[in-house]
Amino acid sequence: MRSRLPLFDRSVCLSVALVLSVSLLLHVLPLRYPPVHAQAPEQNQLTVYSPQTTYSVPLLDWKGQLYAGLVELLEPLGSVDARPDGKKYKLQFMPPGGHPQEAHFTDGKDKAKVRGANYKLSANFVLQNGRGYVPLDATSNLLAKFLLTQVELHLAARRLFIGAVPERFTLELRQGNPSRLLVGFPSAVNPTIATEPGRVRLTFRREPVASAGAADNVTYNDPLITGASFSEHDGIAELAIIGTAPLMATFADGGKTIIVTGAPAPPPPVAQPAPAPTPEAEPSTPASAAQPRQPAAPRFLVLIDPGHGGSDIGAAITPSLPEKDVVLALARRVQRELANRGIVASLLRNSDVAISLDQRAVSANAARPALYVALHAANTGRGVHVFTALLPAANVSAQSFLPWDTAQAAFLDLSGSVAGSVAAELEARKLPNATLLAPLRPMNNIAAPAVAVEIAPPSEKVDEIASAAYQEQVAQSIAAGIAAVRAKLPEVRP
Amino acid sequence: MTRRIVVIFAVLVLVALGLALYALHLKRKVAREEQVAAQQQLAMAPPADGPPTAVTIYVASDSDATLRKSQMNIVLPAERTERARAVLRSLFGAYLQSSSAHPIGAGADVRDVYLLGNDTAVVDTNSAFADAHPSGVLAEELTVASIVATLNANDGKIEHVKIVVNGQERETLAGHADLRRFYSASNVGQVVKDLQ
Repeated sequence: MRSRLPLFDRSVCLSVALVLSVSLLLHVLPLRYPPVHAQAPEQNQLTVYSPQTTYSVPLLDWKGQLYAGLVELLEPLGSVDARPDGKKYKLQFMPPGGHPQEAHFTDGKDKAKVRGANYKLSANFVLQNGRGYVPLDATSNLLAKFLLTQVELHLAARRLFIGAVPERFTLELRQGNPSRLLVGFPSAVNPTIATEPGRVRLTFRREPVASAGAADNVTYNDPLITGASFSEHDGIAELAIIGTAPLMATFADGGKTIIVTGAPAPPPPVAQPAPAPTPEAEPSTPASAAQPRQPAAPRFLVLIDPGHGGSDIGAAITPSLPEKDVVLALARRVQRELANRGIVASLLRNSDVAISLDQRAVSANAARPALYVALHAANTGRGVHVFTALLPAANVSAQSFLPWDTAQAAFLDLSGSVAGSVAAELEARKLPNATLLAPLRPMNNIAAPAVAVEIAPPSEKVDEIASAAYQEQVAQSIAAGIAAVRAKLPEVRP
Repeated sequence: MTRRIVVIFAVLVLVALGLALYALHLKRKVAREEQVAAQQQLAMAPPADGPPTAVTIYVASDSDATLRKSQMNIVLPAERTERARAVLRSLFGAYLQSSSAHPIGAGADVRDVYLLGNDTAVVDTNSAFADAHPSGVLAEELTVASIVATLNANDGKIEHVKIVVNGQERETLAGHADLRRFYSASNVGQVVKDLQ
């Protein structure tokens, strides 16, 4: 005898059938119509502030716990030599002017040896694709042992301070009409300033601005500025100033002070042109009030662009040694060597992030460097190749409007001088080298003197390309080559 | 559980199995089509007859970063674009040998050469050429320069060359050499001179 299903049961069955079919179709459709681009998920990052530099380290989410790469953490601070061997991981770190220090870790174990002493991590060490990772909350202790200095980790905010770098701010409310809040810093800052209705938000990404204790959350009994609150999260610090009317922020004291006050009211919508303001109509400002910022002085900045990054690994030098890691390590060495010669250099990428070729050119041109240096590595050939752009020379002034595809043409002479100087320094250090033209992206789009350096292994042993000794020699040659032609390269106003 | 529910679940299981088999079939079909497309490209080479002719190819070497002129005897088709393709396939053939000093990806091939006007050639390569090409500024430059110089050496009217992959423009060959631009033979000639 056949029984009839009640309406409720039938709808349940139909729903189950629908869900099953849709989920199966969702699995089948991507096969039939594969996506054009697969986007990598956004990574967590730890921002590290040290006396020398500020950099970010991507974090790995491993079984619900955050981990930081040891090499990425230590490389900006000195020479690192890390070698995985099965489940073991040996790391040698040498701070500038210091002594080599060793650490031994084992994949899946929380026991380690750092500088000869036993050390217990807060969770197991992770070895993945030849890279060693330590729990995020262990980074401050480990760095303190390696650097022999005080290290402060703001775990929830993912900010790490090495040495006495945290900068505490001060708040001083000057009541008047209108009232002004003076936010003081020990050194010049350059936050992102966002104005919202009744609020100004100062976001510090590169500055080690830290909590000022009692001044973090302040309430004022003022008709205009009613409070200020400091917070830090996701590797940034944020100071919000709250008011009862639109606020604006201006810089003073060479960027060491930010003055927040009421924004001028918008002009009334009148048909008649407004009368010219009389001196009496201008608000009186005391000596410490905001002055318009002076145009920045020309400066000599070298922009180092370590190629590839993120999912773009570049060449696989060995199965466990991608080009992106080799060139990032080299870039940091070049930056240090340039600093030793009194030349300011910044890195276009200082962590394992993907940047498109067009983005690199845009960022490089926006930074207005005196020189752009792209770094690459390969496992074919020997020695070091120094490249300039393969472009027909153009009789174009660097001051004129430059076409995007051939922007480099106006700088070929200067680029050639730098390449020649770097090659001469490589020669002086007996490193095999050649100077060539290359159709390398994005060099053609760079509106500044530009060279690219590609290193190949120094010997039959391909992994020696990452050895500290070899990279140091190459970095010294590049820095010395740049220093030798510095006088020829014009300083640029930022 | 009523019989009807059992039947509905049995049908659903059959549907799930059917879809799984279809997914497997699609996966195999895609792989088969790619293989057939690659074979078709190789089989499309027109039959050429006649006496072998000496052609000039520029052969790269990674170890000493050189690009050397070399002669080869091959049977050339009569049509100009087919001749250009035949010359480039000879060059690729040299690179695909196991003893090559500048190895390129296995299966690399020239699908077609198109002429735009009289002096511009577009070289359409297969995806194996770019996908499996060794990555490096020098390695990629040597390949590009050898293609441009070889084309120009055998057909002096070809002054501009662009390389595309599977009929599509590509940003770089393997992360370094620019494939969005038209290369000028005279410009590349400077590179060839430096690499002698």
